[in-house]
Amino acid sequence: MSPILQGIITIILGVGGCAGYFYASNLVLDRFIFPARDDDHGRNINRATMVRPWLFLAPAIFFLGLYLVYPVIGSFIRSLYNRSGDTFIGLSNYLQMFSEEGFRVALFNNILWVIFVPAASTFMGLLVAQLTDRLKWGNVAKSLIFMPMAISFVGASLIWKFVYANNPDIGIINAVRDIFGMDPIDVLQLQFWNNFFIMFIMVWMQTGFAMVILSAALRGIPEETIEAAIIDGANPFQIFFKIKVPQIMPTIVVVWTTITILVLKVFDIVYAMTGGNFDTEILPSYMMDFMFRDDGRATAVAFVIMVIVTPVMVWNIVQARREMR
Amino acid sequence: MKTSLYVSAATLALVAGAAQAQDLPFAIGEGDFAWDSYNEFAEANDLSGQTVTITGPWTGREKEKVDAVFRYFTEATGAEVNYSGSDSFEQDIVISSRAGTAPNLAVFPQPGLASDMASQGALTPLPEGTADWVAENFAAGESWVDLGTYTGPDGNDNLYGLFYRVDVKSLVWYNPIAFDEAGYDIPETMEELKELTEDIVDDGGTPWCIGLGSGAATGWPATDWVEDLMLRTQEPAVYDQWVNNEIPFDDPAVIGAIEEFGWFARNDDYVQGGAEAVATTDFRDSPAGLFAIPPDCYMHRQASFIPAFFPEDAEQGENVDFFYFPAIEENDLGTPVLGAGTLFGITNPSEGANAMIEFLKLPVAHELWMAQGGFLTAHGGVNLDLYADDSLRAQGEILAGATTFRFDASDLMPSEIGAGAFWTGMVDYVTGAEAGTVASEIQTRWDSIK
Amino acid sequence: MDNIAGQKSGLSLVTNLSVIALVLIWLIPTIGLAVSSFRERAQISESGWWRAPFSVEQAYRVSPDADGAVQDGDTWVLEGNVFDSSEDASGEGSVSGFGITSRAPGAAEPGMIYARYEVQVIEDDGEQDDTNIEIAYEEGSEPVFPETDEDGQEIVQDIPPIFDRSLQVMRNGDFVYRDADEITRGPSIYITAAQPPEFTMDNYETILTSDNMDRAFINTLTVSIPATVIPIVVAAFAAYALAWMDFAARGFFIAMVVGLLVVPLQIALVPLLTFHQTVGIGQSFLGVWLAHTAFGMPLAIYLLRNYMIGLPRDIIESAKVDGATDFQVFTKIVLPLSFPALASFAIFQFLWTWNDLLVAKVFLPSNSESWVMTVKIADDLLGSRGGDWGILAAAAFVSIAVPLAVFFAMQKYLVRGLLAGSVK
Repeated sequence: MSPILQGIITIILGVGGCAGYFYASNLVLDRFIFPARDDDHGRNINRATMVRPWLFLAPAIFFLGLYLVYPVIGSFIRSLYNRSGDTFIGLSNYLQMFSEEGFRVALFNNILWVIFVPAASTFMGLLVAQLTDRLKWGNVAKSLIFMPMAISFVGASLIWKFVYANNPDIGIINAVRDIFGMDPIDVLQLQFWNNFFIMFIMVWMQTGFAMVILSAALRGIPEETIEAAIIDGANPFQIFFKIKVPQIMPTIVVVWTTITILVLKVFDIVYAMTGGNFDTEILPSYMMDFMFRDDGRATAVAFVIMVIVTPVMVWNIVQARREMR
Repeated sequence: MKTSLYVSAATLALVAGAAQAQDLPFAIGEGDFAWDSYNEFAEANDLSGQTVTITGPWTGREKEKVDAVFRYFTEATGAEVNYSGSDSFEQDIVISSRAGTAPNLAVFPQPGLASDMASQGALTPLPEGTADWVAENFAAGESWVDLGTYTGPDGNDNLYGLFYRVDVKSLVWYNPIAFDEAGYDIPETMEELKELTEDIVDDGGTPWCIGLGSGAATGWPATDWVEDLMLRTQEPAVYDQWVNNEIPFDDPAVIGAIEEFGWFARNDDYVQGGAEAVATTDFRDSPAGLFAIPPDCYMHRQASFIPAFFPEDAEQGENVDFFYFPAIEENDLGTPVLGAGTLFGITNPSEGANAMIEFLKLPVAHELWMAQGGFLTAHGGVNLDLYADDSLRAQGEILAGATTFRFDASDLMPSEIGAGAFWTGMVDYVTGAEAGTVASEIQTRWDSIK
Repeated sequence: MDNIAGQKSGLSLVTNLSVIALVLIWLIPTIGLAVSSFRERAQISESGWWRAPFSVEQAYRVSPDADGAVQDGDTWVLEGNVFDSSEDASGEGSVSGFGITSRAPGAAEPGMIYARYEVQVIEDDGEQDDTNIEIAYEEGSEPVFPETDEDGQEIVQDIPPIFDRSLQVMRNGDFVYRDADEITRGPSIYITAAQPPEFTMDNYETILTSDNMDRAFINTLTVSIPATVIPIVVAAFAAYALAWMDFAARGFFIAMVVGLLVVPLQIALVPLLTFHQTVGIGQSFLGVWLAHTAFGMPLAIYLLRNYMIGLPRDIIESAKVDGATDFQVFTKIVLPLSFPALASFAIFQFLWTWNDLLVAKVFLPSNSESWVMTVKIADDLLGSRGGDWGILAAAAFVSIAVPLAVFFAMQKYLVRGLLAGSVK
């Protein structure tokens, strides 16, 4: 069967199935199990109201439970077993890992990523948002800077491979160096700094996202506060840093954490740019070396990533609970 | 609008692709191919409606050639063959066999990986009698049987892999026109080769093109260098000990070979683009330097399959040729030759898979690729006249003239070393790490999987 | 007052300039690749894309037939035109330089005579030895021999140089080749010629016809459309429940969704593939759809709930008072009103699934029949076409054309939905 046909059938079955499920289950609930008639009228409506949320939630719970909650637990348990999965070895995978140079490099780089990419993207996003705020062609500029968001990580890597190429007839960086009479360099091989060149690809892609949200937040600042500041004689920089930034701080934090989460998922860029060579390995790509060869080690790496994001997760939950009150 | 445009272009392309698939490069029954056994095979097998899926490491032009061979299988049996080549074959095959969606057959570039998978029960032993057949029909048959025999999950040894295509790795490719114009002679010894390297630099040229890039497999071309140099600096017995980790990876013998490689690859003047370019230049792209005007480089050490990646205007004997990567005269170790091969293993048994193995035993299956070029075989029953050019015959002679023949060490090592740590280690080495450090890291990884 | 105005316009100039600079930095890489996708391989490696509109100096080797050679006194002569002898060398039929070795393909100006002589030199160790030198001179004049060769070794002046060969190539390609020996095989003539800029659709044609990219394109569509539609339906119901229904565990579930937003999907790969194998899905499109549906679920619920909770309470309450069930309220009121958020998530999820590499690599079979475009580029093209930038660029553009179109067409919704998710 051709995949297109298969896809169409899936959409019909999937969507139809979902809609059918919701419709039928509600129908069954209202008509047959707790019919809203006769003497049990009131009690049945109440009971149906208690059950109904679960009908609405059931498919989502199924997906979340099976594909996200179970793997977290399953991975942790798997990481306590050896490579073939038949012997319990406690924390040996973790101990072994931390003693290895390769893992430490990946961990270090990953921490660099987590610090640099969200910080740089948010900063650039804020900068662009502020600069384009009053500009006539601001929307065009924004839309162009937002564009990389639509490009795949693999596509973006290709685009930047081209920029970084160490042949001055291909790579624009080396072409510029060439004009100044400098020898071409391969920036992907510059130990330590190469990480930043790779990270910049991610910044390039995420700045647009930060910009869109922060720009909306900037517009949401009440005019009066700014006018008051102008009357007090504040210069544009003071207005920006002392008045605007503090007011949109919550939004900045949201943007920051969203990008942080994304950073911890991305393996494509490193995979396509260097394949993890030249000390640019990060945990998600390091994990690929082990995946399905030594699942114990692979899941241990995954769990380390999980541990790194846990603070963000806790913070998110606390934040969400606060909002609900 | 844009979408529909692309979709219709894509549909057109599909139709065109289907038409192309019918082409057979050599008419059946014509030429000096062994058609008789092919016709017998065709009569004995009717698998119409079946599909044989195969994955392997051949992509691009090599894929086109092997696809052409498979078309004869389709012609004979009626079964469709769906071959996919991937740069990260080593990862993909492991994942798909884990997921239970392995193809029928896999083409392993490394016996080490096949052996790993056989021990996990992911491979099915080849039909009974194949081992005897290989022993009888392949040149030096027993050794090919040994290389394809692994221990299964039940602890029994069986033949799991049938070798199809052999590569001679100890070759240096050069451009005879450029050599001629510059007045360079073909070096007979390693000493002369090094002298030539220096001469070329003195003349203002760049002697070598070396490229290690290969996607997820980046680094492997360097392992070939090290192995070749290992065979030229050490006794074959030491090489065997190294393969089996009976001497550690950071033994001075191994470090010495790595540093010999460094003599060529880590010198900015000796390699095109400087030492820095070695790690990132794609190995398929790297021989192009031989054909540039002015030449980007004069020599390129690579296995016999590399002509598949030469630019289109390359013509064997005209503007490209090869010589034997010479031995070190001083060491007096004879003329060692490094080789490798790809082997078919059954990852998901089916009638079609067995038929394919039968097909690959036919001389014609080998001859069909021989005639397209870039293919050597150990099959003893093929018509040697069908080699696409004299160079393949000459490679056969190099193989025959070897005093020592050894299989590619990295292909025999456990895949986490031979298709992992060794590769990345060599990339680290060419980008500046110490040979000793790199070697001991590889040894640590090896210890961790024991 | 003037002062402030001046400051303002100065500032706005700076602002304009810095925005222009930023936009350029953001655009240049993409433009570079776009331009390159229309260029030929040879031109790409010969000159940077920023010089694409100008002609490129390229060197060619021409090897004319030796058939027409005639003897002329002591030497043999071959005449002809380089452009007749070679298909590759075109260059508007105009030679800009020529030579007799590939090392110096443009050593002489057209019209000059370029000759090689054998001379005697004194080597560093004092020995006398013969070597070749090459000299260019005007037609009609005599060659002037230098005092040292190119390595700086002294040329012995009293031994007459011995003529080896000479070449003259005119601008229009006519050449005269003389050799001291009989010309039995075609000599190597090197010329340099300006190649006019050339733009071609060949790369796109190659990528869409012979390289199976068409198949990958269809596969990508097949993966991303169901993987976009299904999670929306499932998540919309869940989001409604979490926004407008009252039940005990609501707070817990909202917290759970927020928490799961963060789970790195790497952690799911090993257990899930094993699970898929156990239930018999294995590596298949169904598996990818399920995986994408699940991985997109937390964000979908989160975005939709945040949007739905902002809907006016009165409408929903009054509908309920009128006797509408939750199901009716949801389908008749909430769903239509939530359209912007639904669209926003749909775009998000579509971009994500279209652009995904990891999930496709793990959950789809690894054969060319099922490769999506990202896998095709990363695992096949980057390798087999490693140095062929034109093809790679074309492939990249085929793969980003659809998301870019979707992106620009629906940017409005994307922004609106994003804001629902993060700005209160």
